Amino acid sequence: MRPIAKVYTALIFLFLFAPIAILLVFSFNSGNSLSVFSGFSLHWYKELLNDTNTLGALKNTLILALSASILSTVLGTAAAVGINKLRSRSMRAAMNTVTNIPMVNPDIITGISLMLLFVFAGRLMGLGTSLNFWTMLIAHITFCLPYVILQVLPKLRQMDQSLPEAAMDLGCTPMRAFLKVELPEIMPGVLTGLIMAFTLSLDDFVISYFTAGNGFETLPIRIYSMTKKTVTPKMYALATLIFFAILALLLINNLMDEETAQERKLEKARRKKERKPLSPRAKRTLAGSVLGAAAVLALVVSFAGRAQELELNIYNWGEYISDGSEGSLDTIKEFETWYEAEYGQKIRVNYSTYASNEDMYAKLKSGSVSYDLVIPSDYMIARLAAEDMLLPLDFDNIPNYKYIDEKFRGLYYDPDDTYSVPYTYGVVGIIYNANQVDEEDAGDWDLLWNPKYAGRILQFNNSRDAFGTAMYKLDIDVNTDDKGQWDRALEELRNQRPLVKAYVMDEIYNALESGEADIGAYYAGDYFTMVDAQADTVDLQFYYPPATNYFFDSMCIPSCAQHKELAEIFINYMLSEEPAIANAEYIWYACPNSLVYESEDYIDEMGEEAMEILYPPMDDFKERYNAYAYQNLSNDILDYMNELWESLKIN
Amino acid sequence: MRETVSRDRKLVARADRVALAPYTVWAVLFILVPLVFVAYYAFTDNNFQFTLEHVKRFFTATSTVIGSDGSAQEVRTYLLIFWRSLKLAVISTVICLAFGYPIAYIMARAAPRVQRTFMTIIMIPMWMNFLIRTYAWMTILQDKGIFNNFLTAIHLPTVHIIGTEAAVVIGMVYDYFPYMILPLYSILAKLDPKLLEAARDLGCSGWGVLKRVVWPLSLPGVISGITMVLIPSISTFYISQKLGDGKFFLIGDAIEGQYVANNLHFAAAIAFVLMIVLLLCMGIMRKLAGRRVEGGL
Repeated sequence: MRPIAKVYTALIFLFLFAPIAILLVFSFNSGNSLSVFSGFSLHWYKELLNDTNTLGALKNTLILALSASILSTVLGTAAAVGINKLRSRSMRAAMNTVTNIPMVNPDIITGISLMLLFVFAGRLMGLGTSLNFWTMLIAHITFCLPYVILQVLPKLRQMDQSLPEAAMDLGCTPMRAFLKVELPEIMPGVLTGLIMAFTLSLDDFVISYFTAGNGFETLPIRIYSMTKKTVTPKMYALATLIFFAILALLLINNLMDEETAQERKLEKARRKKERKPLSPRAKRTLAGSVLGAAAVLALVVSFAGRAQELELNIYNWGEYISDGSEGSLDTIKEFETWYEAEYGQKIRVNYSTYASNEDMYAKLKSGSVSYDLVIPSDYMIARLAAEDMLLPLDFDNIPNYKYIDEKFRGLYYDPDDTYSVPYTYGVVGIIYNANQVDEEDAGDWDLLWNPKYAGRILQFNNSRDAFGTAMYKLDIDVNTDDKGQWDRALEELRNQRPLVKAYVMDEIYNALESGEADIGAYYAGDYFTMVDAQADTVDLQFYYPPATNYFFDSMCIPSCAQHKELAEIFINYMLSEEPAIANAEYIWYACPNSLVYESEDYIDEMGEEAMEILYPPMDDFKERYNAYAYQNLSNDILDYMNELWESLKIN
Repeated sequence: MRETVSRDRKLVARADRVALAPYTVWAVLFILVPLVFVAYYAFTDNNFQFTLEHVKRFFTATSTVIGSDGSAQEVRTYLLIFWRSLKLAVISTVICLAFGYPIAYIMARAAPRVQRTFMTIIMIPMWMNFLIRTYAWMTILQDKGIFNNFLTAIHLPTVHIIGTEAAVVIGMVYDYFPYMILPLYSILAKLDPKLLEAARDLGCSGWGVLKRVVWPLSLPGVISGITMVLIPSISTFYISQKLGDGKFFLIGDAIEGQYVANNLHFAAAIAFVLMIVLLLCMGIMRKLAGRRVEGGL
C-alpha cells in the first residue's frame, strides 16, 4: 500500500470505530449516564451477567440471525443463478423489480404488511396465534434475500458465461458444474451476501417487532423498548463483550488460516494425482456447514417445541418491572417459584416488551398474538375497552385489590373498575438546571417559552405531549374536540419553535444530564434518574406547573388472553407487598398501592425529597386527574392533531 | 453430437428453472402478497371501501411554513417532506460512494489475508446494535460532546453539529457505509489485474486506467451500492430523531407518525407512493447503467 492509501484507510477506520470506542469507555461508567463519565467501574458488566432476560434475548438474536442468514444465502444464491440464466429480458427485469421491493419498502411497512399476511394466513388455517418464531424467521429471510441476490448477481454477470457450459460439455451434470465451476467463481459474492444477511438480521428491530410472537424477544426489540426509560451503559457493556468475542474469533480464525493454507497446498498436490470428484477438504467443508446448519435448526426446533408447562404471556413496557438488577427482586423468577410452591405446578412466564401504547395496540389489534396481561396507559385502556379488546377482571381472584386506595379507583378510563388494576402513576413536571436558570423564572409552563433561554429548551418529540404543554399553558382542555383550540395550541408551539434546542423523548436524559440543554418537561420519577447522573456543572431542579399531565399505567387482561385466571393470580401477586415495593423502587414512578406508599422501608429507601415529589399531597387528586389526564381522542381529532404536528415539524 | 448438445441445453434450462423455483414461490408469497395488502390499505378507507383520498392527500395536502423572516408560505406537505428525505439520502449516498470507492479499491488490491481482515474490520461496527451506535454518535457530536471537547483541547473553536443536517448525514453515512463498500469490493476484487496491466501497456495513464477500465467494469457494484445505501436512508426515522434533535421530519417519520395516530391507511398510502417512485428511479438507473456497461464492454 502506498502511504497515502495507508493514511486514508486509517482515517476511515477511525470514523468506523469512533463510536465503538465510546461504547467501550462508557461501558465502564460507574454512573448510569451515556454521556457523563463519573468514574471507572465494572458494575454494568456484573449487572449484565445477572440479567437473564437480556442474555436470553441475545441467544434468540443469534439463533435467528444464523438461521435466517444461512437459509437466505442458499435460497438467494440459487435464485441469482436462475435469474442470471433467464433468457427473456422482460422476465429478468420483472424478477429484479420484485427483488428490490423489500429493500424499497420502509421497514415499518414491510413489518406491518407481513404481519397482516401472517394473521390472514393464520385465520385461514384456524390458528388463534399466528405469530411465532417461524413467522419472524420468514420475515428475516425475506428482507435478507435481496441483499444476497444483489451480491451474487454481479458476480455471475462478471463470470465468463461459457465456463459452466464448458464444464458440462466435458461431462459435468448441471449440479456438478455449478458446484465445481460456478460456485467457486461467485464465492466472494456469496460470502458477502451471507455476512450482510447475518448483519441485517442481527440489527433489525422494526420488522422483527411486528412479526414476533409471544415470548421470543430479540436484543434489538429489547433495546428499542427501553426507550421509555432510556438505555443504560449495561447495553454498552454487552456491545463491548460482543466486540471482544468477535475479535477473539478473528484471531483464532487467522491462526487456523495459517494451517489451512499449508493444508491446501498439500491438497492441491494430492488432487492432481487422484482426481477425486470432490476433494476431501471440500467434502469436509460441505459436511461442516451442513452439520452447522442442522445444529442451528435443531436448536431452533427444541426452542420452538417446548410448551409442556403452564404458560403466562406478559406484554409490558421496556424496563418496567423489577428484574433482579442492582440486587433488586427478580419479579418474574420469584413469581414462578412462588407459583410452583403455592399450586404445585410449574409455570413459565414469557415476558416481552413494547416501546409505546400504539405499538402494543397494533399488535393486539392484529389478532395474531395471545398475551395474557398488558400494562397500557389510561387513554389506551379507554380505547381498548371501547373496542371490546379487554376482559372484565374477576376481583375474587385479586383480593389484594383492597390495597388500592379509593382515590385511585373509578377514574375516567375505567369508571366502574371493570378492566384494570393500577400499576403506576405519575405527573409531568419541569426539570431545569439551576446553574443556568434563574429561580424566579421557574414556576409554570412559561419557562418553556422564555426567550431568555433560547436554544436551551427541550420539547417533547411526540404530538400529544407537545400539544399538551401548550394547552396546559393556555388553559385549554387537552381533550377538546374544538379544532380552533388545537389551532391556538399550534400557534403557541410555532412561537416556541425558534427557542427549542431539540424535540426529544428519552434523549432528554442525555441532554439534561450533560448540560446540553437546561430546561425540559418529563415524568417526575425520571427526574431522579437524571439527578443521579448529572455532570458536576449541572444542578437539576424540579417543579410542577399548576396544570399538568397525569397518567396511569394499569394492568389489564386483553380479550385474546388464554390464561385469564393465571393472569389474575399474577396481578394479585404484583399487588402483594414484596413485589409491589420492589417494582416501585425499580421504576421510580408513584405507586397506588398502600402497602407501598405507607411502607417505612420504602419511604426510607426513596428519601424525603423523592417522596415529596412523587407523591404531592393532593386532596383533589381524582378531580385533577380526570380534568388533566389525556383521554382517547376521536380519530378525526387525532388526525387533525397529527396534521398540525407535521406542519410544525416541517418548518 | 447435436442431439447430446440439445439434450444438455434442456437439462441446463431445467436445472435453472429448478434453481429459480423456490425463490419465485417465496417472492410471490412473502413479497408480492404483502404488497397487495399495502396497496389494499392505501386505496381503502377505515371501513375498507375503495378510495383515492389517501393518495390524493399525499400529493395535495398543504401546510403553512413560516420563514426565518416571519413570512408565511404555503407548501405541499408531503412533497416537501419527500424532497427533503431524498436530498439527505442522496447526499449520504454520494458521500458513501466517494469515500467507499477508494477503500474498496485499496481492499481489492491488498493481499488476500489483508482483504479478509479489512472486511471484518468494516463489518464489526455493524454487529454492535444500530440503536446503541446511534446513541454513541450523540455522545460524540453533542455541543459539549467528545468531538467538541477535542477541538477545545487543541485550541480550536467548537462547532455545532448535533441537530443539523450534517449530523443526520453523518449518522446515515456511518450506518450504511459498509453496504456501499461490500458490493464495490466484491466487484473490484474480481477485476483481472492483467486487464489493468494491458491498459497500462497500451499507454493509459494511472488515472486513465481507473476512468476507462476500472470504473466502467465496476458499475454493477456501484449500482448495488447506491441501491443499498440510498433506499434505507430515505425511509429511516431513528437517525433523524436521535441525531437531528427531532427537528428533521422525514418521510419515515411521517409514516411512523401516521401509524402511531392509528391511521394505517394513510401510512400505507405514503409507503405505496414512496415505493413506486423508488422502483421507477431504480429501474431508470439500471437501464442507463446497463447501457453504459454493455457499451463499455
